Amino acid sequence: MDEKEFDRLLKISRINLNGAEKTKIKKDIEQILAYFDNVDSFKEVIKEPAFHPVDIESRTREDKEEKFEDVDRLLSNTKTYRRFVIGPKI
Amino acid sequence: MSSYTEEFESKQKPADYYAKLYEELERINEKFNAFNVLVKATGNGMPFSVKDNICVRGIETTASSKILKGYIPPFNATVVDRIIRTGRFSLIGKTNMDEFGFGSFGINCDKPAKNPLDEGRVPGGSSSGAAVATALLKYHVAIAESTGGSISAPAAFCGVVGFTPTYSVLSRYGLIDYANSLDKIGFMARSADDIKIMLDITKGLDKRDSTSSSKPIHRVKHNNLIIIKELMDKVEDGIKSEFYKFTDKLKGLGYNIKTVDFRDIELSIPSYYLIAMSEASTNLAKFTGFKYGFKVEDFSKNYNDFFTEARDKFGEEAKRRIILGTFIRSASVRDKYYLKSLSIRRWMIDKLSMLLKDAFIISPTMPILPPKIEDANRMTPVQNYASDILTIPANLGGFPHISIPFSYSGELPLSAQVIGSHFNDYGVISFASDWEKNFKYKFKYNLGDL
Repeated sequence: MDEKEFDRLLKISRINLNGAEKTKIKKDIEQILAYFDNVDSFKEVIKEPAFHPVDIESRTREDKEEKFEDVDRLLSNTKTYRRFVIGPKI
Repeated sequence: MSSYTEEFESKQKPADYYAKLYEELERINEKFNAFNVLVKATGNGMPFSVKDNICVRGIETTASSKILKGYIPPFNATVVDRIIRTGRFSLIGKTNMDEFGFGSFGINCDKPAKNPLDEGRVPGGSSSGAAVATALLKYHVAIAESTGGSISAPAAFCGVVGFTPTYSVLSRYGLIDYANSLDKIGFMARSADDIKIMLDITKGLDKRDSTSSSKPIHRVKHNNLIIIKELMDKVEDGIKSEFYKFTDKLKGLGYNIKTVDFRDIELSIPSYYLIAMSEASTNLAKFTGFKYGFKVEDFSKNYNDFFTEARDKFGEEAKRRIILGTFIRSASVRDKYYLKSLSIRRWMIDKLSMLLKDAFIISPTMPILPPKIEDANRMTPVQNYASDILTIPANLGGFPHISIPFSYSGELPLSAQVIGSHFNDYGVISFASDWEKNFKYKFKYNLGDL
């Protein structure tokens, strides 16, 4: 992975790395990807890849409102204005 | 000894039992860092702890990450709720771990826990604190969690019993996700019978977790034990020879031992890490700097800069996994890595299920003794991941498994891992319980003894 490609990956990952940390992690990632390439040796054709280890029952919850018992405590984990959560600009 | 929980319940406790236990834990935690938070217990139940990536109402829960510092969940995880509702257990604290579960040795966090059997060695991870607490306390059970071996590895290194259930048997509601298709809440204790008590209380369908299962779990005992040759090839010689003495003992107890080939089982490691990192990189995107813990103060920043600033709080291994997971999910390599890994998982589940039809699979839990802290810190990520070879196949396939001590090398325990077929959770616990009738575990500490 060249420097430009790695910088682009950092940008879309929203991770900021500088100096020694960047050099170290880039080197680690190259070694890890080389190790991951071992999966190329698997040649069997599998009809149904396993998205889960066991069959998951197809179950959805009802689309209805439920009362949350402790809204104040939920909001206490955020900065609020008149009980609205404040977030960054989009 | 069958169950420490029942023994504890049968004993008279002094009125200041929990106050003294709290003081003792405060003191010893300075040395071993088993707990991220200590709690003054209420009630008079068996002490229990909760890994710090599982939510407990009103108690700081950080998954040992700076990005979650200050996060106070307004609800209990289902597993915690079910335990508390019995009135038989009293919470004593939240246990230390590798940040978000990213590690096999317990060293990927600010204040790593230390192995009580040898302070210079790692306790194993990622449920490091759960194992250390179980090794320190006579009467205690731990709620832990495993994605690729995070219960078995620390249980083995600290010489306690560690159980990971079939994927979907325990609700994941209230667990801070690492990898949704791999995460399993489980337990550590000093005996298999205590594990059974915890499983009885917590198993089963939860309407708040759509992946939890309503299927019954079984107790099928097998006399056939299978050893996989390719796994044994990865085990250090000293551990291997002790393990074969253990299997000889098992033969004497009436078990049949068979060794089989399983070519390419090593592919489970890259396959596991590819799936885990893909899922982790999306899960960690929820930590945006304005909810859950750490807050970015400057709201004038645009969203991307704001988000990037928050993510500076992740540790090195978390950053590595986010970057890799983002790359693996990109359109150009998705088939090559992610879909290929899902195919390997299917292939492995089918092959292991065939072997497990009328047998358990048995191996040492870890291929090495707990490494010294400085040696573990020197390992490259690839060396680190490769040390999970014995715990990953069962975790990738969601099979129930239990780690039990079978011998000692000086003070250090040697442990074996027993894997059962899907939903035969009571079967593997029962195997461990039978073993305990023939072998006495050693514990260096017995804090909270009565």
